[in-house]
Amino acid sequence: MKISLRFLRDQLSKKISGTVLLGLCFSSFAQTTPLETPKSTEYPGLLETFEKLIQVDTTRLKTKTDLLTRTGKNLSDAKTVTNIDLEPDFLNSLILHSDPGYLRLAGQSKCRLADTIITDLLRTADGRVKNVIVTYVNKDNVRETSVLSKRDYLTKVVSVECPESMKLIGEMAIKNLDATIKKVNFELPTGEEQCHSIHIGWLNDPRTPYLCQIHEYIAEANSNAGDAVDLAQRKALARVLAGKMSPSNREYLANICSHLDEEKLFCQDFLYVSFWNKVANGQASRIYAEDICKKALKTGTLSEPQLRECLARMKKESDICLYPAKRSGLAPQMECDLLSAALNYSSFRSDYSDDPAASDQLGVTNMGRIILNINKTPVRPFEGPASVISAAETFTFNDNFDNSEKWQIEACYDNMVTNLEVCQQTVIGKYLGLRQSYTSVVEDILKRTRGAEQNITCGMTSDLEFNPLLLKYKSGCHIVYNPETCQISNCPHKIYYNDRPITHIRIKSSMSLDYFPLSIPSERTSQHYLLANDFRRGARSMGNLSTIISFFKKNRKGVIHGIGCAEELLPSFFKVRAMNQCSPVPFIIDGLIKNEDKTVLVTRTALDTLQAPRLISWSNVFSSVKSYQLLHPMRLWTMYGMD
Amino acid sequence: MGWISLLFLAVVSYAETKVKGPDKLLTKHAVDAIRYIDGDGRVAYIRKRPGVLGIVSSFRSEEFITDTPQSDFLVIATAMKRKVIVEVIKNQHTVFNVMRSNKLMMFNWGETKGKDIGWGMATRMHMADEWITFYVPEKRTIIVKNLITEKDFTVKLNIKANPFFVPDVTMISADLIVYTDINDQGIASVISYQLRTGKTEVIYKSSQTATRMELCQQDNYLAIGEFPYEGVNRGSKILQMPVMSSFNLGGFTTLYESTEQDIGNIICLDDSVYFIKTMNQSPELGMKTTDAVKLILKTSQIIQKTNLGNVSQLINMDGRVLLPSRGSFYVLEGEYNLSSETLKNPTSKEEPKRDL
Repeated sequence: MKISLRFLRDQLSKKISGTVLLGLCFSSFAQTTPLETPKSTEYPGLLETFEKLIQVDTTRLKTKTDLLTRTGKNLSDAKTVTNIDLEPDFLNSLILHSDPGYLRLAGQSKCRLADTIITDLLRTADGRVKNVIVTYVNKDNVRETSVLSKRDYLTKVVSVECPESMKLIGEMAIKNLDATIKKVNFELPTGEEQCHSIHIGWLNDPRTPYLCQIHEYIAEANSNAGDAVDLAQRKALARVLAGKMSPSNREYLANICSHLDEEKLFCQDFLYVSFWNKVANGQASRIYAEDICKKALKTGTLSEPQLRECLARMKKESDICLYPAKRSGLAPQMECDLLSAALNYSSFRSDYSDDPAASDQLGVTNMGRIILNINKTPVRPFEGPASVISAAETFTFNDNFDNSEKWQIEACYDNMVTNLEVCQQTVIGKYLGLRQSYTSVVEDILKRTRGAEQNITCGMTSDLEFNPLLLKYKSGCHIVYNPETCQISNCPHKIYYNDRPITHIRIKSSMSLDYFPLSIPSERTSQHYLLANDFRRGARSMGNLSTIISFFKKNRKGVIHGIGCAEELLPSFFKVRAMNQCSPVPFIIDGLIKNEDKTVLVTRTALDTLQAPRLISWSNVFSSVKSYQLLHPMRLWTMYGMD
Repeated sequence: MGWISLLFLAVVSYAETKVKGPDKLLTKHAVDAIRYIDGDGRVAYIRKRPGVLGIVSSFRSEEFITDTPQSDFLVIATAMKRKVIVEVIKNQHTVFNVMRSNKLMMFNWGETKGKDIGWGMATRMHMADEWITFYVPEKRTIIVKNLITEKDFTVKLNIKANPFFVPDVTMISADLIVYTDINDQGIASVISYQLRTGKTEVIYKSSQTATRMELCQQDNYLAIGEFPYEGVNRGSKILQMPVMSSFNLGGFTTLYESTEQDIGNIICLDDSVYFIKTMNQSPELGMKTTDAVKLILKTSQIIQKTNLGNVSQLINMDGRVLLPSRGSFYVLEGEYNLSSETLKNPTSKEEPKRDL
C-alpha cells in the first residue's frame, strides 16, 4: 500500500491538533490509554504504524459503539450530570479521520469542537458523525459513557454547554442566511501581516464552522459525491446556498476552509497569485483592467468575454499594461506582472478615475484621493474633467474645516450697477450637490445678470461633442471646454446661453493651498494639519524604513502621504537640468513588499492613475523627500503616516 | 530608414576595480542655495533667501531677482558664459505641477539687468549662447528662439502617449534642431527639424515601446541615449553620431548596448559620455542598484565612478559633472574644492560694466 507524503504530514499534524483537542476535552479527566500501540505490525516501519493505527481505531470505535448501544446507557438530561467530555476513543477517531484544517478549528475551544461536529466538518472512521460518544460524571459521582445521536448531542449537550452555538444555528437557517452573510467580512489582505491577522480572525470566528459547512455542502453536491438517492435535492439546495454568496466570496470561503491549518497557502491565493485572476473571478474590480484591455483589444466597450480574454493575455504579455486607452496618467505604467504585484499589496480606494493629466494642482489630486479613501462616500455624478472629483472633495473638506478661503478659484463678473467686480468661489466642472460647481455658479450669475429663469441648468460639454447646429445646443446653458486643456485651476472654455455666447464671466485663479505647513503662523491652514488634527488621522513622521514597516504592521489599512522631488522619485521620467532642481510631487504609499533584504513601497504619485501604482524603492522615496526637505521653507520632513 | 548604422557593438570592458568614493563639492556657499557655479568657482548664482536670487563673485554679492517667497529659480548657462537664463518657478511649494511654464529671464553673463523672454520649461542654450530652446507644456510645443534677433520658431510635438513627457532638444546648426518625441503607441524617436523650411525627418526611431530618448551634444558629436522607463523590461543603448560642418543624418555608431535597464541621464564630454548604469537588479520587484559610469568614446571602456548604489541624476555645469544625492553634490569630473579663500583675479567677462 502506498502512502503519500501528504498523508504522512497530515497525520503528524493531526497528532499535534489532537494533543490540543485532548487537552480541551480532558482538562479535568486524565486520558486512559485510548489507543494501544500494536504489539507487532505485519510491515514494520513508520508508515505502516499509521496504517495500523487507523485499523485499530476503526475496530475499537465500532466495538465501543455497539457495546454502548446494546447496554443502552442513556444521557437523559445534561443538566443532571457534570464534566461532559467526548469519549477518548471517539475523539481519537475524529483526530485520525478529519481534515487537519477543521481539527485546528475544533482545537480553538470546546464549543468550536462541538460546532465542527454539528456541522459535519469532523469525521470518524465511519465517515460523517452520526452518533457522539460522551463521558460524564453522574449524580452519584461515577463517570459513565453514553452514545448519543447527533440530534441528542445538540439538544442535550451543546445547547447547555454552548448557547452561542444554538444562536448561530438559527442565524445560519436559510431564511436568515442573507443577513448573516452580509455581516461576514470577506476582507482581502494586502500584506503578509494583515493576512496573518485575517487568518487568525477566521480561526477565532464562531461562524467559521457553519460557513465552512456551506462550502463543503456545495462542493460535495457539485462533485456528485455522497448518497446518490438524494443527490438531486442536495444539488438544488447547493444552488440555493451558492446563490446567497457572490462568486468571489465563494472562492474566498473555499480558500479559507481549505487552508485553515495552512496560513501560507491561504495568503498565497491573495498575495502571490496574479491580481488579474482576482479581477477575473470578481474579487477585484474590473476598473483595474478596463482601460488596459480596451487598448489591447482596440475596442471602445468591453464585454465580459473580451475582458476574460484580455485578462488571460495580461498574465502572459506583460507589455500590454504599459499604455492604457485613456492617457490620463504617467505612462508607461509598469509591466503587468509588476503592476499585479503592486495591486496585490494595495488596498487604496481606486474605484473611480480622477484624471491626473487634467490636474495642474497635484496637491489637490492627492488630497482628493486621501479624503475619498477615508470617508468611503460614493463619488457623485460629475461633468467636465474627471479632476473635478478631487477638486470638489478637497474644496468640501476645507469648507467643512472653515478653511475654504484658501480656495482661490473664482468666477467673476462686473456688476454694472455698483461698478464693482463680483466674484464667487468655484470648482471647475459639475459635481452633483456642490453649489460651488462652476455650472451652478454660472447659473447663479446668469440669473443675476441676464435674467435667466430660476430653473436654468448649465452643463459641461466637451468641444468635441458640442455642435451649435444641433437643436439640443440651441437653447439652455452650455459650458464648452477642451478636455485636453481643462484643468483644476485653469480651463479655457466658452459659455453659450440660449445660443448666444456669454463673455462677461471669467475665471480668476491664484490657488495657494499649503499641503504641508510652509510657516509657523499658517500651519493650521495646511492640508496636512487639517488631516492630522481636525480630521483626527494622526501624523507619524516616516523617516526610516523600519518606522514604515512597523507602521504597516500596526495599521493594516494605513496610508503614508508625502511630497518628494519627481526627479529622484521617478528618475527615468524626469531629468535634472540645473542645480537644485526639484519638481515637488505629492504621493501616497499604502503597502510594502519585502523580498529577502529588499523592500519596495507601493506608491501612487499624484501623476499616476489610481489604478496603476508603482513599486518604488525606499532609497528613491527617501532621496526624493530628503531633496525636497532641503528646499522647503521650514526644512520640514514631508512624509507622514496616517491611521 | 534614412540612416545606416555602423553598429559595432561595444565590447564592454568593464572596469571592475575598486571604486574610490567621489568627492563632495566644497564651496563657500551652502550647496542647497547654489543655483549655478562656474568651473573655477569665481561666479555663483545663489538663492539668497526665499524668493531672492543673487550673484556672488570675488568682488561682489548682489541680489538681482526678487520674487514672492514661494518662488524658486533655475539658472541655465553654458561653458561659453555669454548669457544666463533664469527660470523663475512661481509658487513652488503651493502649486504642484510638473508641467508648468516658468517665467524665463535672460541676462548677460555676470550682469544683473535682464529681460523677460517668455514662459516655458526645460530651457537649453545652444550655439555659443545665441539660441535657446524651451518647452511650453500647455501647448505641447518647443520654442526655438534666437537671443540676438529674438526671432521665434515653433515646433509642435506629437506626444499623446504620456501627458507628462518633456522633450530633449539640441541644436546642430543655426538652421537645424534635433528633438525627441513619442508617438501614440509609446515609441520614441529622434527627429530633426529645419527651421527655415519647417521640414522634419525621423533620424532614429526605437524598435520597441516604452523607451525614452536622450540627447547630448559636444563639439564634434551628438549622442543619443535610449533607455527604458522604470518598471519596464527593456535594454539600454547609446549611439554616437559625428557632427561635421555639413550635418549628415546617417552614420550612427553604437557606443554601448546592454540588456540592463539603465537610468541613463547622459552627459557628453569631449572624450567620454557619463550615464547612470544599473549595476544589478531584482526582476521580481524591479529594484535596481545604480551608479554613475564613464564611457570612454575611443575604447568603449566603461569605468564605474561611484559606488553609492542609488544614483539617479547627473548634471553638467560648466564642464563639471555633478551628481546630486540627498542634499549633497558629488563631483565626478572637474575641481571639487571651491572653498579656497584665495581671492582670484577677475576675468574680463566676470566684471563687466557695473553700476556702482
